[in-house]
Amino acid sequence: MMRRRPSLADRPRWLKPAAALLLLALSAGAATAQAPLHQRIDAAIAAGTPNYEKQAAPLASDAEFLRRIYLDLTGTIPSADEARAFLKDGTPDRRAKLIDRLLASPAFARHMATVFDVLLMDRRPAKFVPAPQWHEFLRASFAAGKPLDQLVQEILAADGADPKTRPAARFYLDRNGEPHQLTRDVSRLFLGMNLQCAQCHDHPLVAGYLQAHYYGLYAFLSRSFVFNDKATKLSVFAEKAEGEVTYQSVFDPTKLTKTTGPRLPSGPGLKEPALEKGKEYVVAPVKGQRPVPRFSRRALLPGLIAGADNMQFRRTVANRLWAMMLGRGLVDPVDFDHPANPASHPELLKTLTDEVAALKFDVKAFLREAALSKTYQRSSELPKGVEEASPRTFAVAAVRPLSPEQFAWAAMQATGLVDADRKALGTRATEAALYARLSGNVIPFVQVFGGPAGQPDDGFQATLDQTLFLKNGTLLRSWLAPRPGNLTERLGRLMDAGAVAEELYLSALTRPPSDEEKREVADYLAGRASDRAAALQELAWALITSAEFRFNY
Amino acid sequence: MKPFYACNSPEHLLSRRRFLAGTAAGGLGLLGFAGMVHPAAADQLRRTQKRVLVVWLAGGVSQLETWDPKPGTNTGGPFQSIPTSVPGVQICELLPHTARHMHRLALVRGVNTAEDEHSRGAYIMHTGRRQTPGEQFPHLGSVAARLLAPEDSPLPGYLHVTPRGEGVNRQDAAFLGPRFGSVALPDGNMPANMLRAATLTEAADRQRDGLRERLNRRFNQGRRTAETEAYTYSYDQAAQMMSRRGIFDLGRENPRDRDRYGSHDFGRHMLLGRRLLENGATFVKVTHSNYDTHHENFDFHIEQLGEFDRPFACLIEDLVQRGLWESTLVVVMSEFGRTPTINRNMGRDHWSRAWSVALGGCGVRGGAVVGATNANGTAVTERQVNGGHLFHTYFRALGLDSRRNHYHSGRPIPMADPQAAPIQEILA
Amino acid sequence: MSFFSRAARRAAGAANPTRTRLARELRHNSPLFSCRIDPTGRFVFAGAQDSLIHRWDLTTGQRVALTGHRSWTRALAFLAGPRQLVSGGYDGKVIWWQADAAAPAPLRTVAAHRGWVRAVAVSPDGRLLATCGNDNLVKLWSAADGASVRELAGHTSHVYNVAFHPDGRHLVSGDLHGRVKQWDIASGTEVRALDATVLHRYDPTFRADIGGVRSMAFSCDGSLLACAGITDVSNAFAGIGRPVIVLFDWATGARRHLLRPQANFQGTAWGVSFHPAGYIVGVGGGSGGALWFWRPTAAQSFHTLALPNNARDLDLHPDGRRLAIAFFDGAVRVYDMAPA
Repeated sequence: MMRRRPSLADRPRWLKPAAALLLLALSAGAATAQAPLHQRIDAAIAAGTPNYEKQAAPLASDAEFLRRIYLDLTGTIPSADEARAFLKDGTPDRRAKLIDRLLASPAFARHMATVFDVLLMDRRPAKFVPAPQWHEFLRASFAAGKPLDQLVQEILAADGADPKTRPAARFYLDRNGEPHQLTRDVSRLFLGMNLQCAQCHDHPLVAGYLQAHYYGLYAFLSRSFVFNDKATKLSVFAEKAEGEVTYQSVFDPTKLTKTTGPRLPSGPGLKEPALEKGKEYVVAPVKGQRPVPRFSRRALLPGLIAGADNMQFRRTVANRLWAMMLGRGLVDPVDFDHPANPASHPELLKTLTDEVAALKFDVKAFLREAALSKTYQRSSELPKGVEEASPRTFAVAAVRPLSPEQFAWAAMQATGLVDADRKALGTRATEAALYARLSGNVIPFVQVFGGPAGQPDDGFQATLDQTLFLKNGTLLRSWLAPRPGNLTERLGRLMDAGAVAEELYLSALTRPPSDEEKREVADYLAGRASDRAAALQELAWALITSAEFRFNY
Repeated sequence: MKPFYACNSPEHLLSRRRFLAGTAAGGLGLLGFAGMVHPAAADQLRRTQKRVLVVWLAGGVSQLETWDPKPGTNTGGPFQSIPTSVPGVQICELLPHTARHMHRLALVRGVNTAEDEHSRGAYIMHTGRRQTPGEQFPHLGSVAARLLAPEDSPLPGYLHVTPRGEGVNRQDAAFLGPRFGSVALPDGNMPANMLRAATLTEAADRQRDGLRERLNRRFNQGRRTAETEAYTYSYDQAAQMMSRRGIFDLGRENPRDRDRYGSHDFGRHMLLGRRLLENGATFVKVTHSNYDTHHENFDFHIEQLGEFDRPFACLIEDLVQRGLWESTLVVVMSEFGRTPTINRNMGRDHWSRAWSVALGGCGVRGGAVVGATNANGTAVTERQVNGGHLFHTYFRALGLDSRRNHYHSGRPIPMADPQAAPIQEILA
Repeated sequence: MSFFSRAARRAAGAANPTRTRLARELRHNSPLFSCRIDPTGRFVFAGAQDSLIHRWDLTTGQRVALTGHRSWTRALAFLAGPRQLVSGGYDGKVIWWQADAAAPAPLRTVAAHRGWVRAVAVSPDGRLLATCGNDNLVKLWSAADGASVRELAGHTSHVYNVAFHPDGRHLVSGDLHGRVKQWDIASGTEVRALDATVLHRYDPTFRADIGGVRSMAFSCDGSLLACAGITDVSNAFAGIGRPVIVLFDWATGARRHLLRPQANFQGTAWGVSFHPAGYIVGVGGGSGGALWFWRPTAAQSFHTLALPNNARDLDLHPDGRRLAIAFFDGAVRVYDMAPA
């Protein structure tokens, strides 16, 4: 049963009045702009697909929602106790309260730092800026609620010379300041346009991606280079005052050489100041000295990319934040925005683009609205009678693989490693202390489950070494061994199989077991009285290696 | 510019991963699990499946001491050339066993890769492209793993037998994804985590797997995707691979063969290569280290080629004898060749301007020699080729259209450099 | 060694290594890597990378090329009586030549070894010839007619050098692994093994052997044996290591000293000889070239002369004052140790 075309059956009843109301509201124009964003999202999503109501999945259960929102906002799953408390909470606004609580938690800033690190650096090894400093820069930025446009501007403005902003320079420096690499990544990350293909020629399939776009962007960066200051022993990003950009298409038989100044793909050409000969530099380039040009092309980049005038940046931010929560961009892939690849819901993307600005690039506020939407909160289970659901409709929640980091933290939570360490730390068990103590465990997961360094993560692949790592590796096995406060130790103290099943399922899968599952656990243990401790570890292993655990659903 | 490429739709190529889900979802699909294939069908599969063996002579083997000797010249060095099984074709005396199989091999003597640095030279030879910032091309092994390996093969598609391996290299596959990256068999040992924990009995392992599978079935009822299928199926693959780990055990080879191939590492590694290819491996790279002979080039080439020659000849012989030669492309390559000029330490340095690659087997015209260098080997005089030409040639030899594209997030990326073309002269 | 007459030894006593200076330069256009001076002292022979052996007349400077080998020649030795040169080449051949003929042509060619012939030595009585090579064998031949006398098997790697003890009853051979064997000539049995394995390293990174006994010599009285080569190799393929000469006490077989240059030098000791006055002379090549002098009583050299290029081999002139060195740059340079 693959999810593709939905059937007409089993129309979700709750949707009817709301959708009708919102559709009405939407069509009413400006007056309805006052409706909360999450409602406008739902209306737009519904409007995007004929017979949407019939295809849309119902709202997810509390347990399904709980696991998903934890993974999306904190990068891990809740503890069994947290799950119990939420599942007991009968108040109508319990989901909104949970969203707010998680957004306010230190775990949110931590998770965002991790997500943006992977996004911005593609798991490159640290070269000039230590990874922990970069991580802390990101974490502190999200903790302080720094607007995303400001964050991007800081990153694109940093050259590493000022110790205060040096961590932000990792984006440039740890790519060795390579202008082609940077051109690709700036366009991909901040403009949603992967211009890579346009480096050697106009994009062969995308009419909108021109070689001129590539080199216009490249011209901002081509004069820049990593300068190794012997005196301070620091490498910083420096720039020359000269160097014009020329290019030819490899497909052009006449080998016509073109030239371009700095310009954004959608932007105007820039007027560069004409400097008197000999006065191009504030600090002239001599050996061993970092040159400082009087006019810096690169200095224009942060304002042009992440400034108020760049609609394409807002649009990309909206699309990428949406994709973070919904598992797929409205424009998909997120770095392939061009007229021939339109958004699944163009009006919604327009709305979100505007809202990014209206919310002043407040990531929390944006994610909050996304999380409050029914679109986000739908079940990932196909509604009865629906055979398939196109992911473009967002009618059924996506089933997404955990990132290597989510997988590691969720497994540490499920096995009770986190609980045990929290117990061991006692009153010193702050988020930062636990992170410091446990984050080393993430490294082997990233090595085994992460994509290649320097490459954007591109889809999910199950590889044999990953499976063998989970099946036979020592790391997960060591987490399953009983230890005060961890899962198998807690289970070992429970004599009743039903209680074991409940603790096990809440801890690992964030939901209570079904009756069938309770019976399975009881049966499993019944034959294993002589080696019950081993049997409990096997049970925990089976849950953690199940597809249900591996995916955010 | 309108599409220059003979494009395939992104969907077509992206679907390969989903194919797996499709077959698994439809019961056992086309071929079912490899372990369950009927013996006759397995034999058929074995004959039709294309394989690749790359012998990587790390450090840069000297073309003058191998495929393009220049005895009696100021660059020729102390070795003579010897006749081979192909009249008129001579190779260096250090390869007497290989010389007897020359009619099965083709020589490309006009290679100019114009890159004298190890890692960049290796990149060209592994990917068929020069390194460019911002773009990473997949290894030949990764491409083979993706396009030639049966979806349900229990073996990783790209195996690397290497003296100093360290597990899995995700970089090799570039945008094709880690599934197609090389899996190292360090010093000929099996991959990591192949053995069940000593504390876990087989029965307990089966029991916990049974529970995992029941959980998956329930979860998949309403939520099956290609990805969840791929994940759950990977456990079946892992179990198969574990049960077939004898593939990696040279102890099971005939002692006579162990003697034939030699007791040194390279001999063992080549025998392992044979064993892997016989057991359904798609791409095997065997690294022989090391040829970076800046010092005492001649002493070292005696030693290293003395190890290389016999097992290489044995492997050709055995692939022929087993009926696998016609479906196995064999390539002997390095990051570059070595300078014709002999330096003051009787060494030869890095040299990419005029060197040679040998290949044979699947789709290759045995005994063909293409390209030539001048009298003392300092320049290509005839039919100069680079890494791009070689890649077109490999793909064509394997029956693949080398003008096809890979797709990376919807972007078409030519499988081989569009500015180069296959070396038709050596294609069968 | 045996070539040195009593008179020469007296003359040599007057030689002063610390005064060594370049006396003459004999040039060719192909790198040289072996050299020997004939017992009359008139000719210097050198093997070149053009696969020829070149003979210079030290009186006239005239050069004649000896054509016969199809590869490089590292092994040169003389039969004093019939004034013949015996050469061993990397083509596996041993060739006899009339050393003082106007244009020497091969008198006899013997296919001596499978693979390279790496060294040739003549017995003190001139009747036997010993050769060794890449087939891991040492072979004895009749010097008079080239007939095979005996094969000495036992080395497990390429045999790099061979030398007769002055007593005429024993022979030593040294291989790539630095294993030195003493053979009883009459019976062909291995008498004992000496350990020069300091001259070898298996580089685990590059997975190859580096080293070998590159040169070998007995002291005139037979009480000392010197084996030259490279040690402390940190990078086999760039040849980063130190030249060293292993000095054995022949009576006990114990290592007496590891002779090292006092100055920092990177490379291989390619040639070693005992001067009749008792000191040890060595040359090396690697980071340039150098000539070193040691006393058998001290590990550190007492004099070093920097050479203009990588040195590959050396031989002492029978006059005890001069020495010839073969260079990578194609020159044989003659140095004089006499007080100016």
